Amino acid sequence: MSTVLIVAEIQNGAIRESSYELAAFAHKVAGETGGSVKSLVAGQGVDGLAEEFSKKGGGEVYTADHETLASYNAEALGAAIRAAVDASGADLILISNTPSGWDVAPRVAAALDAGFVSDCFAIDIDAGKPVFRRRVFNGKLDATISADAERIVATVQPGATAAHEGGGDGSLTKLDVAIDAGALRSTFVEIKQSDATGVDLTKADVIISGGRGVGDPEKFSEVIQPLADALGGAMGASRPVVDAGWLPHEYQIGSSGQVVQPKLYIACGISGAIQHLVGMKTSNFIIAINKDPDAPIFEVADLGVVADLFEIVPALTQAVQKAKG
Amino acid sequence: MKIMVCLKQVPHQDARLDIKGDGTWIQEDNIKFEINSYDTYALEEALRIKDAGEAEVVVVSIGPDRVSQALRTALGMGADRAVHIKDDEIEGSDALGIAKLLAAVAKDEGPDLILSGLMSDDGNFSAVPQMLAELVGVPHTTAVVKAERSNGTMRCDREIEGGAREVVDLQTPCLVAVQTGINQVRYASLKGIMAAKKKPCDVKSVGDLGLTGQVGAGAAKVTVEKISQPPKGDRAEILEGSTDEVAASLLTKIKELGLL
Repeated sequence: MSTVLIVAEIQNGAIRESSYELAAFAHKVAGETGGSVKSLVAGQGVDGLAEEFSKKGGGEVYTADHETLASYNAEALGAAIRAAVDASGADLILISNTPSGWDVAPRVAAALDAGFVSDCFAIDIDAGKPVFRRRVFNGKLDATISADAERIVATVQPGATAAHEGGGDGSLTKLDVAIDAGALRSTFVEIKQSDATGVDLTKADVIISGGRGVGDPEKFSEVIQPLADALGGAMGASRPVVDAGWLPHEYQIGSSGQVVQPKLYIACGISGAIQHLVGMKTSNFIIAINKDPDAPIFEVADLGVVADLFEIVPALTQAVQKAKG
Repeated sequence: MKIMVCLKQVPHQDARLDIKGDGTWIQEDNIKFEINSYDTYALEEALRIKDAGEAEVVVVSIGPDRVSQALRTALGMGADRAVHIKDDEIEGSDALGIAKLLAAVAKDEGPDLILSGLMSDDGNFSAVPQMLAELVGVPHTTAVVKAERSNGTMRCDREIEGGAREVVDLQTPCLVAVQTGINQVRYASLKGIMAAKKKPCDVKSVGDLGLTGQVGAGAAKVTVEKISQPPKGDRAEILEGSTDEVAASLLTKIKELGLL
């Protein structure tokens, strides 16, 4: 890899932490291949942020400044990335796997006729070529992926590595990105913040959470809720439960629901997709009950039971009720 | 209006995931397959537009003979026609190869709207929809949890971080990649399944689509070299014993935590 291009991302007026993580990967790859690190900072009025990023690992930073880049727009950002690739001659383009990153990156890869790998958590160099590692089957298996292409676009899982530290000499180059706002066929309208939910799980000391393994909505009230009641806790759920309409969205725990940190989290019939784990893995103590011994939930749990939740949970509920007298 | 829905058939979510002999993917013989969960929501979204007025829904899928079952299910749910892209040459294609095949069908069909799921439950790449939009030359958006049509525009709410939504307007024709939970997916009725038997399913080869030599392992820029069990970390201590013994151990732990 001769040139690694980081596509930095601005969030709430600052460069995102995940962009510094991309810088860490970029410097590692460039270091092992004798290449250089360059970056794109795209937005509106970005010179200050671009200068900061160039001094904190971004290297030679290209800026793309345009009103259509002030909010995320796939066509506008795609055009800016392609212009930066042309200007830099980059052969590896790194983008964070964020809502804008996952949306724009494959489109850019197709436009560049480049190889594409998404949501990597590791990038290694083998015989001068990058090898990527990522999860497949909703976190149940790891895949090692090689790329053989003049150009590769890769998205990287936020949090996969520590942020790049240390400075470096940087420079700024203004890119001339020809974007005709009137010719765009997609338009950013607004950001809607999440509605205040009726169920605040973040304050519960004990959460009993059910997943797809609970099987049907009635079982939540028959099996999960009684244990929550016995322990004076709250009931939660994983995404598939909410998607199926078994429980409303306010019960959802995970990246698109609530992020919780109770003293005790009991996961019942939850396999442990990454999006669920990020919502509960920092709980003080985690008990997982699942029939599948290979379920990823057991990797984050402190105590595990490989059994039918419909036997264990009622037995535990009874034991708790008896203990309380 | 014409709606094209891209469906992938994937291993059933409860299927055993055994790694096959050469280590490059799972053992797919003798396991159950189903329509990718995300794609069922895309199909439902199309069928709701059809139910609300005039629309033709064309479902497209790629893969071996088993894929015809997924297409029959989609026809049974209410889709009007199916296109099955089937060819040994497709084996080993990367996302770009798959997107090229779908783009060739889209160029033949000229849909006003292309619907797909955000990602597949097996590869989890989330690449084909965005690539397809680029190759066809239409705007797109992903992770859509609400889509509303008005004159020549699809207004889409897409799920972003922290429970927030980003609202984007797409001019049609466009591609919308949906998130799970956008709707409640219907089941195929018995009447629907009977009617599906008479609905057309075209089978197309790579050559029919003018893509000979442009897809498959030879044309792929990225290759899965191997898959493996994720490294085991400080895994949970697994409790053994009878149901009552396990419940007693859990109770002891809950007491230790000071929660009783």
